[in-house]
Amino acid sequence: MVHISDGILSLPVLAVGWMVTLLLIAAALWWSKRKGNMVEEIPKLSVVTAAFFVASLIHIPVGPTSVHLILNGLVGVTLGMLSYPAIFIGLVLQAFLFGHGGVTVIGVNTLDMGIPALIAYGIFKLGKLNIKSLAPKLWLLGAIAGGVAVTLAVLFTAAMLLTLGEEYAWVAKALVVYHIPVIAIESFIVGSVVAFLARVKPELLNLEVEK
Amino acid sequence: MKRIFIFSIILVLCLSTSVEAHRLHIIYKISEIEIQAYYAGGTPCRDANVKVYDSNGNLYIEGVTDDEGKFRFPPKTGVKEYKVVVEAVHMPGHKAETMINLTQETTTINTEIEMPLYSKVIAGFGYLSGLAGIAMIYAGWKMKEKNIKEKNKNRTK
Repeated sequence: MVHISDGILSLPVLAVGWMVTLLLIAAALWWSKRKGNMVEEIPKLSVVTAAFFVASLIHIPVGPTSVHLILNGLVGVTLGMLSYPAIFIGLVLQAFLFGHGGVTVIGVNTLDMGIPALIAYGIFKLGKLNIKSLAPKLWLLGAIAGGVAVTLAVLFTAAMLLTLGEEYAWVAKALVVYHIPVIAIESFIVGSVVAFLARVKPELLNLEVEK
Repeated sequence: MKRIFIFSIILVLCLSTSVEAHRLHIIYKISEIEIQAYYAGGTPCRDANVKVYDSNGNLYIEGVTDDEGKFRFPPKTGVKEYKVVVEAVHMPGHKAETMINLTQETTTINTEIEMPLYSKVIAGFGYLSGLAGIAMIYAGWKMKEKNIKEKNKNRTK
């Protein structure tokens, strides 16, 4: 549902979406290359992208419609800067294989889900500096990051639809309302995954847990 | 004898006319076209806006799909081609369109055989692992290059 399809948005919006997306992918790749940990990141990158790709098939019935999971918060928390290219790849596969969204809008859709993922990563990174390795707090931090990522993704998508004018206002409103359960579910998922990973494999979250 | 002959002729005539009167006729008229909208994976697309255009591109009928994602409309006399556009209201971003051609004698139902969902998922994983593989090859190649350079450096020292 946060995937906008072909033939809805105007050309300038699509163009801006593609430009921002390509720039951010280039920036993310450059940044992680500079850090020099690409080799270690690749398996993690593909596993998380696979999870993101499949998550969109998990439908939750809400009122007269159904919404699906996004998991961009999880991608952001686990992959950091590389979450943007990961979401891009995931969306390309979703567009071609599942028909979620369209091809010309991949730029805009990546922006809608990728920037919130980066923000979720920022929140998580800032937060984990301030807390020690206490599991409940980490759970909460992950939940906040996951929830914020979905909320922002929905708001971004609604904003994109609002560029089309007043007639889409109620669609945008419906979009936000229907996603409230998704925000709750994903907060829970991301919180649980973070707490689990922190205990089992903290390196995946780039956590330096003091023992 | 003559009487029997005449009688039999009358009988035959009677029988033949009675057979004639029971000939069965069929006339037909197509009074409804049914479309069904569904999402990949088979979930019906409920309450979606349907717009039907005739071959000149004029809006002919519009409506909403039912619980099974179905919508029915009567064909317009003389119009053989329709464009059907379905837009899911609750899922902005989900829009599809198809052409219906009534003159095609063979099955007009446009049954595009879709890949089952699980095979799409597997295909997606395949692409991902392929991409990961390519990235690994690239990374490995870079590392090798780096090692060779370092070795060369050590040698010159």
